[in-house]
Amino acid sequence: MTTDPSAGAGGGLPESTASGVATQPTAPRRLDPTLQVVRRYAWPIAVWLLLGAMILWYSTLIPQFTDFQVTSIAKNSLPAVYLALAQGVIVIAGGVDLGAGALMVLANAVSANLMEGQPLWMVTLIAIGVVLGAAALNGFVGYVIAVSGIPDIVVTLATLFIFTGIALIVLPTPGGGTNGGLRYVFTGAETGVGTNYWPSIAMIAIPTALLAIWLGRTRSGLAIYALGSDENAAHLSGVNIRRTKITSYAVGGGFAGLAGVALTAIANSGDPRFDNAVNGTLNSVAAVVLGGIILGGGMGSVVGAAGAGIVFFTLSPILTAMGVDPNTGQVVRGVVIVAVMVVAGLLQWWRRRKQ
Amino acid sequence: MNEVATARPHWTRQLADRPLAVLAVVLVLLVVATGVIEPGFFSVRGIRNTLLFAAPVGIIAAAQTILMLTRGIDISVAMVGTLAAYLVASQAANGIGLAVGWALLVGALIGAVNGLVVGVFRVHPLIVTLAMSAILLGLLTQWAPTRFRGATAIPSEIRTIGGGSFAGNLIPWNALVWAAVAVLVILGLRRTGLGRMVYAIGDNPVAARLAGVREWQVLLAVYTISGFLAAVAGLLVAGRVGSVDLRLLEEFLLPSIAAAVIGGTSLFGGVGSYTGTILGALVLGVLNTMLTYLDTGQAVEQVVFGVIVLALAWAYAVVQRRTG
Repeated sequence: MTTDPSAGAGGGLPESTASGVATQPTAPRRLDPTLQVVRRYAWPIAVWLLLGAMILWYSTLIPQFTDFQVTSIAKNSLPAVYLALAQGVIVIAGGVDLGAGALMVLANAVSANLMEGQPLWMVTLIAIGVVLGAAALNGFVGYVIAVSGIPDIVVTLATLFIFTGIALIVLPTPGGGTNGGLRYVFTGAETGVGTNYWPSIAMIAIPTALLAIWLGRTRSGLAIYALGSDENAAHLSGVNIRRTKITSYAVGGGFAGLAGVALTAIANSGDPRFDNAVNGTLNSVAAVVLGGIILGGGMGSVVGAAGAGIVFFTLSPILTAMGVDPNTGQVVRGVVIVAVMVVAGLLQWWRRRKQ
Repeated sequence: MNEVATARPHWTRQLADRPLAVLAVVLVLLVVATGVIEPGFFSVRGIRNTLLFAAPVGIIAAAQTILMLTRGIDISVAMVGTLAAYLVASQAANGIGLAVGWALLVGALIGAVNGLVVGVFRVHPLIVTLAMSAILLGLLTQWAPTRFRGATAIPSEIRTIGGGSFAGNLIPWNALVWAAVAVLVILGLRRTGLGRMVYAIGDNPVAARLAGVREWQVLLAVYTISGFLAAVAGLLVAGRVGSVDLRLLEEFLLPSIAAAVIGGTSLFGGVGSYTGTILGALVLGVLNTMLTYLDTGQAVEQVVFGVIVLALAWAYAVVQRRTG
């Protein structure tokens, strides 16, 4: 891996672990504790500040900025956030999952198909089942990668086709439905349209926080960072490589499944189109990169990736408000990703020269 | 591992030492199986259809093979090829030569941009080409109903090369283009300085740099070649389909990467050859024909294709580990 945008700055992890080499030069200097936290989380903080600035800008662009717009942004960015978290875990562990969007589409198709006309308790069971099923399925993908030694890109490119194929078999045309209760949990209204933004914001904040805490504070979470940082070193320090790889894919799969369930709740239907899967994957990789997680693994924070997921989502309403073709959003997204990586590369080169 | 291998019967060890022979056997088995499913496969039409699919796959896979040898990959090939097809359709009125020239030039230029970002700014190729894909998709979605409106008809010359055939309707013209590409790529990788440098920087970038290879120039060159080949494939597919749409080359992206992988080219650089990739593209071509004959529908086809690609890649990884 040659690029390393946030060396020593974008980590969401204790300095004693994975990023040891990269952070060493700054370690001897004693900093004010608050400043240290800001430094360590500089990248995710910058992403969330960018998001705040964008929403502020958006509020000046449109005639009326009310609770309705806040709710709309919060609920509609849920699938993007979950997919960014899914991709985040997997990329931190040193992999990349091109099939994440397809797993979301599959979960969307299955849940919309099963949930239609069911009572709330049944819908809840189905939602849990779909998330766990997606986790198990992607855990198997991780197992295949770990055992076969085929590169992640090839295996997950294959699952991109396999999962969308299964989704098409389950739900040949857009359709299905869900229960108002589930819609309330994700969108804040049983009809899916409303001004109550707290449920959506909670559904963004709680899973993101839980995942970040698991990754940064527990043994198995730190093993993910260790694996992505240096597989040999992780193995020598007693990390079970195969199990950690499988865990990263299973957790990522669970979040992709959650993204699918959220999609069902928001749209009240399932949509198995291949484009949805490809766009989902593209956006999740973009969010991970802008969020400061380094492709190749070992560094970065899922909190940044979640923020970046919302940033990319917010782009299209802003462009629409400015009277620009929303498809320009796709172009802007591509340019932003490359620009971020180029700037990060230059920063790193400059820092290395300075030393 | 080694002891087990020597204890094996003679012929399996021989096979394990020659992974390409294993792939050739797979190809023959697939051909026989397809013939059993549909005897018409051994007709002129069956062979022609297989080659019609395999040729564009093989041409894009040539780009992937060269890039994988340098530890790279190009996800943007599908969109680059689609853009080239749109350009030809919109420029056709100005003469076929000019239109094709423009399309190939733009393809190569986009490839060069990829190469510049990968080579000079050291950004991961997966990110660069994914982003390029997103940019091109965004532009084409906007341009299809505006700038490229009415650009749906493909010139008849390209229709002939992309979908027509000669020698008693047996060999499609696009297979001839593929053969030309194959000769150039194989000779280029084996006999030219650039070819050696491609293997060198993939095998050990540090050693290559110390030996005086300017890595960024090599990367710029190979990504430019990739963009050019993607444009060629885009024109061929557009010629076969006869019209242009945004999803023109979508179905060729996975096969192009898979062909190189099951043909034995390592994504980690330095190992592989285009000969293996050609076999891989033929295997996928026969597989595609077989699935068409089985007439299972798009969804099942997608699943089976993905599973078989995985199985072949896995088998190859196992064989490779046993020999290495």
